[in-house]
Amino acid sequence: MPVFKRLPATRIVAAPVALDEVVWPEEALVLRLAPDEVLVMPPLGSVPVGDPHAIIIAEGGFAGVWFTAAEALTFLECACEWEIPNERPAFAQGAVAGIATKIWLEEERVLFVVPAPYAHDFEERVGE
Amino acid sequence: MRLIVDNEPVTFNSGESVLIAMLRAGLQPTGGGCLCLGGDCPHCIATVDGVSYVRTCQVKALPGMIVERHHLAEYPPLPGVQGPGRGVEASNYQCDVVVIGAGEAGLAAVAEAEAEGKQVLLLDVGRGQEVVGIYSGPLVVARTAEAMWHVHAREEVIVATGAAEIQPVVPGSELAGLVTARSAVQLAEAGLDLGRVVAVGSPPEGVEAELVAGELVRFEGEQGRVTAVVLRDETDQERAYLCDTVSLGLGWHPRDALRRMGHDLPVRAVGSAARESDIPACPPEGVVCPCANVSVADLDFAWEQGFQEMELMKRATLAGTGTCQGSVCLPYLRSFLAQRGSELQPAFTARPVTRQLTMGEIAAGAHHQPVARTALDGEHHRLGAQMERSGGWWRPWHYGDVWSEYWAVREAVSIMDVSTLGKFIVSGPDALSFLERLYPTQVATIREGRSRYALLLDERGYVMDDGLICKESDTRYTLTFTSGGSSFAEMWLRDWASSWGMDVRILNQTYSLGAINVTGPLAQELLGRLGVRELPAYLGHKRLMVAGLPCHIFRLSFTGELSYELHHPAEHSVTLWRRLLAEGADLGIKPHGLDALLRLRLEKGHVIVGQDTDFDSTPRRIQHEWAVKLEKEFFIGRQAILRTNKIPLDKLLVGLEMSDNEPPYEGAVMQVNGEYAGFVTSSTYSPVLGKSVMLAWLHLIDGALAEEVVVDDRIARRVPVPFYDKEAGRARV
Repeated sequence: MPVFKRLPATRIVAAPVALDEVVWPEEALVLRLAPDEVLVMPPLGSVPVGDPHAIIIAEGGFAGVWFTAAEALTFLECACEWEIPNERPAFAQGAVAGIATKIWLEEERVLFVVPAPYAHDFEERVGE
Repeated sequence: MRLIVDNEPVTFNSGESVLIAMLRAGLQPTGGGCLCLGGDCPHCIATVDGVSYVRTCQVKALPGMIVERHHLAEYPPLPGVQGPGRGVEASNYQCDVVVIGAGEAGLAAVAEAEAEGKQVLLLDVGRGQEVVGIYSGPLVVARTAEAMWHVHAREEVIVATGAAEIQPVVPGSELAGLVTARSAVQLAEAGLDLGRVVAVGSPPEGVEAELVAGELVRFEGEQGRVTAVVLRDETDQERAYLCDTVSLGLGWHPRDALRRMGHDLPVRAVGSAARESDIPACPPEGVVCPCANVSVADLDFAWEQGFQEMELMKRATLAGTGTCQGSVCLPYLRSFLAQRGSELQPAFTARPVTRQLTMGEIAAGAHHQPVARTALDGEHHRLGAQMERSGGWWRPWHYGDVWSEYWAVREAVSIMDVSTLGKFIVSGPDALSFLERLYPTQVATIREGRSRYALLLDERGYVMDDGLICKESDTRYTLTFTSGGSSFAEMWLRDWASSWGMDVRILNQTYSLGAINVTGPLAQELLGRLGVRELPAYLGHKRLMVAGLPCHIFRLSFTGELSYELHHPAEHSVTLWRRLLAEGADLGIKPHGLDALLRLRLEKGHVIVGQDTDFDSTPRRIQHEWAVKLEKEFFIGRQAILRTNKIPLDKLLVGLEMSDNEPPYEGAVMQVNGEYAGFVTSSTYSPVLGKSVMLAWLHLIDGALAEEVVVDDRIARRVPVPFYDKEAGRARV
């Protein structure tokens, strides 16, 4: 049974063009949730976003867990109705087991990210 | 090897279907009817290993298998209460093209699609993949032994399911011993003794049979089994042919229910599934639809009633809605309508599913709506809270003693987990003009560090939600919404921002922030103990450290007492909650749940959107006109409010009280002079007031509101709200 943990991150909502131009730290995992929104892990110390109206918050509202690639694909076959990208790495988001989920796919492992309030339900559904 | 049919062992050969085994033993699954052995007719269904409506011609017999026959004109028994049935998993697959049917046409379709470089998935019942429905997408759902397959086709679905044989519709067609020509061949190949066979229509290849010609009139039989078939010859003379089995080659119609199901979807039929149907002669009498027991006389009656179109005839008679989904009756419905009317009408639309499924199969891949848990969920359980679902969240209803929680708020200090509130940031050069358009209140007059209560209206001027607008700077605002309203609010904000082309950024931080309401006359003292100085004034907000943790503190009150909402990063919720409880121990602190809150806010007359409001609640009807500034040039709902304000008021959300300490239940009907006058939306006994108080929708009678109403056989008096602390001195202290 996987156990989700809160994912410390930085969440930024800004003009899309401003986000396009940001040079992210190499070690950062940057998930583009929407044209105007990114989730960056681990949290950034400073954020050079060229948008004076950008909303930048320390984000602790998501929880995540890593699966091996094999575990993830087996689970997704049952719990995910939409098509998982074939390329790696890749980011995708949508309903998984009925819960809004973000997926970061690497060659050997897959990160599942859900809103922390739904982590318990997701854990239960993975275990079913 | 043996299986068990109606508690009797029946021998079968390896690889045989259940139906073949039963027929060899002299058992007809449903007692009679023309057997097709193609999975099309309803005449071989039985309960197999506890699952009813199984087509026994499609199921291989297994040792020890338990079969219970469905007898004609009877439904299978409901399963006993033995706990939940078998859960079934879903397996999802994606491909370019789905081909259904591995016959000649299906394999050709596969080859053609693959030659074009397409990714193809072939599904075939013979391989254990029984397609039962096509849904929008297109999504093809197939039953397999292991799971329900949900196959998502990117481009198209090709139906290559072949054709079905036309069944007989004449008196006696319910007898045993009737088989289609194709099934006669299969039965003979399986080694069954068919006795004396008479073949009507196309003969069964390789089966010794007496070939007869003429118009089929009726079957005659004894003890439920056919003994003769009667035909009418060219000279209009009837002639009976004695037999043990009748082979019926009456023609073919496309097995195309899946294609008809895929109306408006990229679904097409090929091969025999795409052929034109043979149309049999319209029968003068007999049962057209054996599943729903619809006779030619029933069709006539429906026709006379005006149901003269195929879809209407189906709905009026239920022909085509039963087990076989029209495989037997559809050609006859078409011939009936063609004869009575002037044209051949197309086949009726098919709908999922084509096969009877178990609840587990239907539910495969479905999930109930998850219910969110705040970061304090574990704390609530640790404190013995009774949890309830509310607004999409698990929330504490109470912690064991609602009245001690109530009094902690009124006389000491209490905390409540309000993390569930919708919490947003709107930032950008157009933030102010965006919010001015969105809300009916004046946003421009809110000063930095101040907040204002606001209604959220739809275009019709109806109340959708409420919350706070909190100004942080000229270009940045924090908004709050109700717990159940935050998801809709996000959609609403984004949709309007896009529609109006507003240069704003919107962040929903409902899940990111925890929130704890510290309320009661000792709230300030408690926060002082945690290092907080210079708390915000009433309706003010400040960012301060509480117990060393960053908080955005909002001074407002829903309970009617001094209150501070501490919004904070959700990962700090547990620490903050425990520190508050620890520091407030000698102040009489207790956490309170929704039960106490609902009573406290009702004493103050605060409305809960969704409980006290209805789908057509305007600010005027809920006595919130003060929250609407019609002098603004524009806000969503303004035009509707200007219009509806000219209509005489018909009902009002009012306050009622009664001396009784047993309040009427919420929803209780009110009467004035014996006539219906509205209903109660919220009610509670108020310990601090010593009486029961209510909010209720009261209808105006002759343009006036009654001073007294009868509710639950008792008198309630209309009084102004709030019921408690009318001067609001306690919250604003």
